[in-house]
Amino acid sequence: MSVLLANPFIKFKIPLRSGAKTTKNSISISARLDNSQQQQQLNLSVLRFTFGIPGFDESYLPRWIGYGFGSLLILNHFAFSGSVTPAQLRTEVLGLSLAGFSVALPYLGKFLQGANPMDRATLPEGAEQIFVMSQNVSDTLKEDLAWATYVLLRNSNSVSVLISIRGELCIRGYWNSPNGVSKTQVLEWLERQIEKIGLSDLKDSLYFPQIADDEVWEMLPKGTSSLFVQPLIRASDPNAKEMEMVEGFVLLASSARYAYSEKDKAWIKAIAYKFLVLVVHYNLNSGIGFPN
Amino acid sequence: MEAGSILNSIIPWNPKRSLCRKPSNFPRFVRASSSPQSQEQKRGYRGPKPTRDWVADWVRNNDDAVRSLPIYVGGASLLAVLFNRTVSGIAPVADASSSQSRADLLTLSLAVTNILTGLVWLSIRPKSISVVNPEGVECRNICSRLPDLVVSELLWAWESLSAVTCCRSLVVIYDSICILQIGMAAESRNDGEAVTVDASKLMQGSVYQGVMRSGAQSYLANLLLYPGRSELPFLPSNTQAVILQPLGDKGIAIIGGDTIRGFTTSDQSWIAFIGEKLDATLSKYANAVSLVMQDGI
Repeated sequence: MSVLLANPFIKFKIPLRSGAKTTKNSISISARLDNSQQQQQLNLSVLRFTFGIPGFDESYLPRWIGYGFGSLLILNHFAFSGSVTPAQLRTEVLGLSLAGFSVALPYLGKFLQGANPMDRATLPEGAEQIFVMSQNVSDTLKEDLAWATYVLLRNSNSVSVLISIRGELCIRGYWNSPNGVSKTQVLEWLERQIEKIGLSDLKDSLYFPQIADDEVWEMLPKGTSSLFVQPLIRASDPNAKEMEMVEGFVLLASSARYAYSEKDKAWIKAIAYKFLVLVVHYNLNSGIGFPN
Repeated sequence: MEAGSILNSIIPWNPKRSLCRKPSNFPRFVRASSSPQSQEQKRGYRGPKPTRDWVADWVRNNDDAVRSLPIYVGGASLLAVLFNRTVSGIAPVADASSSQSRADLLTLSLAVTNILTGLVWLSIRPKSISVVNPEGVECRNICSRLPDLVVSELLWAWESLSAVTCCRSLVVIYDSICILQIGMAAESRNDGEAVTVDASKLMQGSVYQGVMRSGAQSYLANLLLYPGRSELPFLPSNTQAVILQPLGDKGIAIIGGDTIRGFTTSDQSWIAFIGEKLDATLSKYANAVSLVMQDGI
């Protein structure tokens, strides 16, 4: 059960449906609008290009151009003394606001449908990869937990996963646990952390697309930027006081920002639902809890 | 105990519910929760997020407008620069000799960058494909002698697929029998009931053989173009896309969707993993399944 993931990160790309990327090495972009048919079928995909430099995201090009040309404008204003005509001032104001707008463009473009794939989650430094499960669980649940944590780490842009069901924990991936402690102690430490934050009482899912460094909880590895928590909620017995019972939660952390799309969250909820099904199954059968 | 009651006692699952709750809901959550823990204070403290979400929501709701926005901004700036030059009485000559001309050139380049970015955004707009409602009848046939745990796992798989993806029909065949047929199915001409799955006939067909030989998932993104669709008569006739997922080497899951290319790459990999899990569960309970086979004969 202590099999560590060899390569837990698979970059998930949302496929771009229309057009193919063309590769060009030169900067010159020519809009060949004449070889298209009518206006509606304008093939603009010819404008898309890549320099082929690894790690350089071409969608950020407007930002670099905005910074570069904006600073050239300022240089032009100050470096060449002499009177600055009102006409030049107008142009410069226009230019600087355009530069500001260009800088903001990649940020806006990130939210468009079918936009660029998310950043890949990077491995946190200084944190260890661990896979620990509470001992007090049945074999069926053990298998399900192992499978679910594996799938969640592979299929979503995550670095760490924690599943808690009725107090029993399973954690996998990178966690900021104290070094050199035994597995039981890690679990106890995590339980205390969870108690402190009060995650077990969550009634709604939580999504933090961008956490600031100082807001990251102690147990998460450094560099965590996105966090998603999905509680497992079921309808309780009709004669119970509360309408809903919280059976646990699934927590996923990633070092990339905006790591979880709506579809990712839906799938994570589906996995959480699987454990709910198990819980209710055991409830109805044994009435006690998970049999050992 | 009826296996269906397991899922009935769980809150009906709607994936649109409670996704991406904004932290602005926290105060409401604080009042409703009976827990005295300090979580509310700690979490209510993450105030600044809603502003970011507002931009994201605005962009998502006005997708088309935002895509053309840079074009309009760039075009207007271009005209403004030229207008400025003519109004100020400067000759419209593109040289870099004077400060004014340099500033003009830089602004023009920025305007052109914006126009081109807008055109690129327009080019990557995903084509919206409409949903085609499957014609047929609803059915829910589950092999009755399977253990409860297996049935609940199969039903979980169906609930997840139908809620998250465009799946509208699911058929699972294992050990040469059809253990699950759920969702929309083709209507049989005789009695208006769902067409039953002839597992042995399916297993002799090329579709099944091909998938089993490769052992990998097969995604028929546009079923109408695929000649082997005649081997899947139990699916509604206007099923748009089908995923054939082998379950180990003893079974297959056939997942029918209502949109052409409706299953994304993410869906495909999730379905592959779910297929592996179903195979593991089913092979563990293979004794029960083979018992059914004997009874069936």
